[in-house]
Amino acid sequence: MSLVSGPGRGGASTGHVPDEIKLVVEKHVEYIQTLDTRQDELEYWLTEHLRLNGVYWGLTALHLLGHPEALPRLATIDFVLSSQHESGGFGAAPGHDAHMLYTVSAVQILGTVDALEELDRRGKAGREKVGQYIADLQSQETGSFAGDEWGETDTRFLYGALNALSLLHMLHLVDIPKAVTYIQNCANFDGGYGVSPGAESHAGQIFTCVGALAIAGRLDLVDRDRLGGWLSERQLPNGGLSGRPEKLEDVCYSWWVASSLAMIDRLHWIDRDKLSQFILQCQDSEKGGIADRPGDMVDVFHTVFGLAGLSLIGFPGLVAVDPI
Amino acid sequence: MASHGVPRASGVQPATDQDWRKEQQKIKDYKGLVDSLNGRIREHQFNTETFEMTSKLLKWNPEYYTLWNHRRLILRHRFQYSNSRGPNDDSPPNHEALISLISDDLVFLIPLLRKFPKCYWIWKHRRWLLDEASGLLTASETRKFWQQELALVGKMLNLDSRNFHGWGYRRTVIEALERDALQAEGLSTSMTRQEFDYTTKMINTNLSNFSAWHNRSKLIPKLLDEMKADHQVRKKFLDDELELIERALWAGPEDQSLWFYHQYLVCTFDPKYTADSMVPEITGAESMAYVRKEIMKVREMLDGAEDCKWIYQSLIHLDRLYHELGNDWFEEASHIEGYFDELTKLDSLRLGKWNDLRGRINI
Repeated sequence: MSLVSGPGRGGASTGHVPDEIKLVVEKHVEYIQTLDTRQDELEYWLTEHLRLNGVYWGLTALHLLGHPEALPRLATIDFVLSSQHESGGFGAAPGHDAHMLYTVSAVQILGTVDALEELDRRGKAGREKVGQYIADLQSQETGSFAGDEWGETDTRFLYGALNALSLLHMLHLVDIPKAVTYIQNCANFDGGYGVSPGAESHAGQIFTCVGALAIAGRLDLVDRDRLGGWLSERQLPNGGLSGRPEKLEDVCYSWWVASSLAMIDRLHWIDRDKLSQFILQCQDSEKGGIADRPGDMVDVFHTVFGLAGLSLIGFPGLVAVDPI
Repeated sequence: MASHGVPRASGVQPATDQDWRKEQQKIKDYKGLVDSLNGRIREHQFNTETFEMTSKLLKWNPEYYTLWNHRRLILRHRFQYSNSRGPNDDSPPNHEALISLISDDLVFLIPLLRKFPKCYWIWKHRRWLLDEASGLLTASETRKFWQQELALVGKMLNLDSRNFHGWGYRRTVIEALERDALQAEGLSTSMTRQEFDYTTKMINTNLSNFSAWHNRSKLIPKLLDEMKADHQVRKKFLDDELELIERALWAGPEDQSLWFYHQYLVCTFDPKYTADSMVPEITGAESMAYVRKEIMKVREMLDGAEDCKWIYQSLIHLDRLYHELGNDWFEEASHIEGYFDELTKLDSLRLGKWNDLRGRINI
């Protein structure tokens, strides 16, 4: 699996856009299946540091498309396990250092293909150690999470930690109340959340903070109307969603914004039909894949978040997704 | 990510045989360099040549996070052993050598930051260098580095005034400069006023800078606390902010950054938020007087901007707030109904929101 962008481009950037655009399920499946055959492209190698994320995105997309069998299960598990370190953590690919971002993807992939017990059977470290690797990255002082031993805290890591630990049934390993307090410190006047205390609201970070609060069972702390108001203003006249005020729309926010709205019961505060039209326009209906905007090159990252957005708003033909 | 905003024009031509061969050669070079570097790190060959290999690869691909870790391992080794008396001398390094190591690496990062201003790993590495400096050097030596960082981040924000990495790094720099250990004697410890003025400058350059408005909202409570401002001073401060935002709104009534800041100021009058606002001791009667005045001022903006949805949105918010404060409605029901009707027409994307809010209001 790779993150190589292209070869196709999503829809027309200008000119006539048909009113009725179909979701090209088979093309998307084919697109994802052929990603790993592109090893003669330099970009395949330049994106190796995202490989495990890429597998997760591709696999999730296939599950949403109703073709979970389209990637070979055993080879997927083997690849995940080959990226593990003795510490319990995972790198992006064999030879890459362990980091929270890939450890979370590894747990998510193994969870998706129902293979978490493979960690105990043939991993370099078993489930318990994987959970401990994640838990040890929590700061005792602030409750936040670092990405690895080199520091840098970010609400992305906090959400990832809680997500993976909940899949492993090991949330007891971390200090949840402290993590919740940290998230509250990232809250802003507009109801949103930033990457760290003091930082401006950003739809991606809002997803991580609201998602973490949902896992912690503390959605009562969210200022729903205020946040819902800010998030709903991310929708632009063409139906697409942006990440911050005065920014351009981008398919990946179809997930970050819409799932956050769903978690606070405000998904109906945006126009779902217009959003699905926008996402469909970003498809490459010949070669498969979805781009950030109509006319741009497709890649697997935008493919999964476009499909997840469509699934969330109940687009027919897709498997339903859980907003958290 | 892989391809944000890559237009359709790039990379569309089918590759010729020659292009293909060239690409294969590039892949071979790249992989060869990566393998060789990884081997050297495994063998703890933390020498200049290995270090240069990380430089070469990181310029090529700064997203390759493991390479940054390699670089830090080498730097740590150098911090420990680098010494003007030769490589085999284990005595502790002198500060000049350390300063030049850190300084050289900060310089190495500048073109990378300019080329990849949104790359998390570059900012992370920069932050790491400064943290190392704090641990290895004297307070005044470190302070010099942080002061240079303030100048650098100012330049980065001039290039892109919405870069949230830049704004975040700026807050880190300010925090560091304010830290007691770094204070040279006799200097004022707080930079809040200076940072507040910086947001004014950024806003004056571009009113739509939501990042600057946001930072301003974070600085004001701190500034007022540091001023030990009393109730009257706080009210005056609020008045000035209201005046500033209203002037801006007249110039750009369609600008959502401005309306969100206006909403932030109006929070002061909402009992749910008053305690954390800039005038925490404001009374109900004072709040009502303010809200009344705001309703009248915002209504005036409608003149010539009847199709601006933000005005109706704000009026509904203010009317609801007024009602919550005193149980009376300031405007007639027909007016408020009219605002909802306008929003239904002008803001059809958010119809669900307006229906919800309309259902909750019982005039």
